[in-house]
Amino acid sequence: MTARYPAASQVLTRRSAIALCGSAAASVAFAPGLASAKDEGFRFGLTPVFLSNDLELLAALRAYLSEATGHPVELVSRRTYQEITALLVAGQLHAAWICGYPYVQFKSELDLVATPSWHGKPLYQSYLIAAPDRPANQWQDLKGDIHAFSDPDSNSGFLVTRALLAENGLKPEGFFARTFYTYGHRNVIRAVASGLAQSGSVDGYVWDVMREMEPGLVGRTRIVRRSEWLGFPPVASPKALAGDPRIARLKQALTTMDRHEEGRKVLALLKLDGFLATEPALFDTIAAKVDAVRRFG
Amino acid sequence: MRFFGRLRTIPVSYRVPVLVALLMVAISVVISERVLDRLSRTQESFLDGLAGSYLDGLTAAVLPAVLRGDVWEVFDALDRSRKSYEALSPIEAVVTGADGKVLAATDPTRIPSFSDLPEAYASRYGASTVTFDRESATGFAHRDLVYQGQPVGAIHTAFDASHIFAERREILVTLLVTNGILAAVFAFGGFLLVRRMIEPMRVLEDHMRAAANGVAEPIPSAEFPARGGEVASLFNGYNALVHAERERANFAMQLAEEEKLASLGRLASGMAHEINNPLGGLFNAIDTLKTHGRTPGVRDTSISLIERGLHGIREVVEAALATYRPERSARPLSADDLEDVKVLMKPELRRRRQRLDWQVDWPADAAATIPGGPVRQAVLNLLLNASAATPEGGRIGLKVERTADRLKISVSDEGPGMPRESISMLSDDDPGPAVRVGRGLGLWMARRMVDACGGKATVEPAQSSGSIVTLILPIREEAKHENSRAA
Repeated sequence: MTARYPAASQVLTRRSAIALCGSAAASVAFAPGLASAKDEGFRFGLTPVFLSNDLELLAALRAYLSEATGHPVELVSRRTYQEITALLVAGQLHAAWICGYPYVQFKSELDLVATPSWHGKPLYQSYLIAAPDRPANQWQDLKGDIHAFSDPDSNSGFLVTRALLAENGLKPEGFFARTFYTYGHRNVIRAVASGLAQSGSVDGYVWDVMREMEPGLVGRTRIVRRSEWLGFPPVASPKALAGDPRIARLKQALTTMDRHEEGRKVLALLKLDGFLATEPALFDTIAAKVDAVRRFG
Repeated sequence: MRFFGRLRTIPVSYRVPVLVALLMVAISVVISERVLDRLSRTQESFLDGLAGSYLDGLTAAVLPAVLRGDVWEVFDALDRSRKSYEALSPIEAVVTGADGKVLAATDPTRIPSFSDLPEAYASRYGASTVTFDRESATGFAHRDLVYQGQPVGAIHTAFDASHIFAERREILVTLLVTNGILAAVFAFGGFLLVRRMIEPMRVLEDHMRAAANGVAEPIPSAEFPARGGEVASLFNGYNALVHAERERANFAMQLAEEEKLASLGRLASGMAHEINNPLGGLFNAIDTLKTHGRTPGVRDTSISLIERGLHGIREVVEAALATYRPERSARPLSADDLEDVKVLMKPELRRRRQRLDWQVDWPADAAATIPGGPVRQAVLNLLLNASAATPEGGRIGLKVERTADRLKISVSDEGPGMPRESISMLSDDDPGPAVRVGRGLGLWMARRMVDACGGKATVEPAQSSGSIVTLILPIREEAKHENSRAA
């Protein structure tokens, strides 16, 4: 099994290189890293949308993607969304699971590959959470808190709350006493649970899934406000690789994940139904929030 | 000092174990103090090292985050470090930034981020890396965060030191128990050892007590220690003493016997003379009877003469018998005894043409429990001595006065005065040295009688010349009682 991958990888890499020669020459020229990326195989970026430290999940995902696409897949993790987004936009990653917010920001440079489906829909919410013994029933009660954001490029962990404040003519630095970033949704929950922050902005999907996996930790927080349903963090690829058959194969692998045993294992670990091919319009609500923030600021 | 004084009154078999136990306690106190001191130093240096590396690790983990003022990263580092340094059992860690405000604490609910560090935190550190607060069993340590020579913040930590104090307590208890057991074992061992060591002394003591009560027995070889040594030589010395004393006593008894025989010889010759004197008269009377026996006047006179002569002989023989038959000596002293003395003295007095002043006041109903034999012998000896000391034709005296509680016997002579040794033998508290000179056994026997009766002997010069020997013999209570009842 292991011997097959390098051989296949070499063949495919050579073939894709030839295929890409014409269409993506400019990109190659502007992104010197891409050449090396091609040599190393298919580079798939992961943002800390989920439990990026779950080694079992990473191994299963890598195994499934390699099997399903026929390429050896390299998973690339970074601490912040920004790093992954920058690598993706720069073409140093072939695809990445990013957040809806960076996708909207770099919509002109990115193609949607697939969007995860959770409870049958490619949608999720953002939660404002606080300590369970706090008598806070609406977001206004969180005024003056030390507030934990997940990531400045996260939709659910930052943008939603930022936009909510903007729509009410507020800014985080005025509404909250202090804010800080934890660079991970799980960290937001930890910060609120430990009391380091009095409230936090967190991915509703992560909070719900973790409530089953770590009830002791999540139980020390409660939801103060749920946002409207928004587009789930999608898998995107650079427009420069639009014609690359590996992207098509990736799309195929993701959308048919629930039909393969290995894929179902990954989905079970992710607590997702599967991946759907979605239209960019799914993220218009997020784009509206970006606009709201921009208008206010 | 009073303690030592009191200690001295305790028998040695208890005193030594007590001293051993006290010594053990003193040693254990010193050892425990040393061990605990050493232990606490070892623990503290160990904790210093541990806390130092803990602070090193924390510093490395939080410094970049502190430089950025990244609250979450600092908290995350503190949170993770708690699991990595379980040996130190950290309770709390607080990281402050350059402005002195809290960046993050392990327990943000107690010390929130962005707040001022409580006053108490700044003042709780001592000179060493780790400062202990014994009351709360907590150790404190802090470290300034310095980057490129600039202070950028500080780490304040507290950790649970109760296990350190618990370990000290445990070791103290172990020491106390161990040393207590050792002290008890040593004290018991000391008790047995001393008992064993002083056992021969007890044997010796028993024998000496027995000797003081009159029966000096040598220590049998069975009671000698198996391996000789000092005790065996002590026992040998004691046995040698007992044997020497026995020999001396035997010798004295022998001498006394000889003296008795000698005085008997003298008395016998006197008695022979006493018997011989009437014998001439008796033979004359028998001749007269043979020749003129038919004449009634002559016959009666001769028979009367023979009768008186035989009477005199019988008296002498009876007195001699009374003196030298031991079974008679056990009788209490009576007037007859004194009469016997008078009879026995008669030949000697006649030989030396001396006179005896006889002043005996012995009431007829008086009975004394004073032994008759020894007193009679003593009086006889004193009278013989007085007679020997008094020149021929002189006068000696016997005066016996009897009161309710004592008998006073005085013997006087007209001699040149008694020699010093003789006076010492009679009247000194310790007649030993005078006895050892080996003279005057008669006096020595008189002295022994006086001692046996619990009485007293004195020697005084007489008014004109010579000496008066006075024996005062107490009459015991029950004897007096019996007498009064008899009266």
